Amino acid sequence: MIFTRFTDRSRESVEAAFEEARMLGHDSLGDEDLLLGILSVDRGIARDALASSGVTLEGAREESEAMLSGALASIGVSFEDLNREAGEAFEMRITDDRRIPYSPLAKKALIEARKETKRLGDNYLGTEHVLLGILRNEDGTAVRLLARMGVTPEVVEDRIFELRDRAAE
Amino acid sequence: MDEKTRTRVGGPEDPRVGLEAVVALRRTLEALEAAQVENAFVAGWSWARIAEVLGVSRQAVHKKHAARIKARYPGQPPGRKRRGL
Repeated sequence: MIFTRFTDRSRESVEAAFEEARMLGHDSLGDEDLLLGILSVDRGIARDALASSGVTLEGAREESEAMLSGALASIGVSFEDLNREAGEAFEMRITDDRRIPYSPLAKKALIEARKETKRLGDNYLGTEHVLLGILRNEDGTAVRLLARMGVTPEVVEDRIFELRDRAAE
Repeated sequence: MDEKTRTRVGGPEDPRVGLEAVVALRRTLEALEAAQVENAFVAGWSWARIAEVLGVSRQAVHKKHAARIKARYPGQPPGRKRRGL
């Protein structure tokens, strides 16, 4: 993936996204992990837009686990039972040091993020562009995760542009 | 027999739900394997014996799990017998 013109913060958010993905046992970096990465950087328009929509890192992590649990329940497997029966050694974290690839949805989000910088005439790619890119995956995991938290892409997008306008004043 | 019954092989109606269940199960399976191999190691099982039960080669188990588990249990792990005793 090309990191040209990424701001320090957006690069940091992508690195954090890989850490989030590994922690959740994801064998590729999903677009929901990009979202978690944005939430785990301490500042930025994207993080603030999400926070003011009621989306926190802890909340989004929990929702991601709830989605895993729900997917297993759909085929009759109880994650809670499994977690209890497997003992202390059971953890979802990827424990070896292999590199995980970008998922197709994450790639798409970053391509859309780049398009957003062009569309907005920005000469940098910040976390807000990454977030806009994520929101463009209408059927993506991140958008569905946000929907479960009662947040629509439109609300987050409006917040992004409000915060941008305020920052420009 | 209608089209739906004929093509249905079991599982949720929405293909996405079914596919996502596969992903969730795969991730959970990886975590479960890591945990159970670790449990067996701590219980004193040899790599060969663990591999036998898993139905794979000793090398495969060792390659996938040894570094992680040995880093977690430096020296003799609890319950593990010294070779030759």
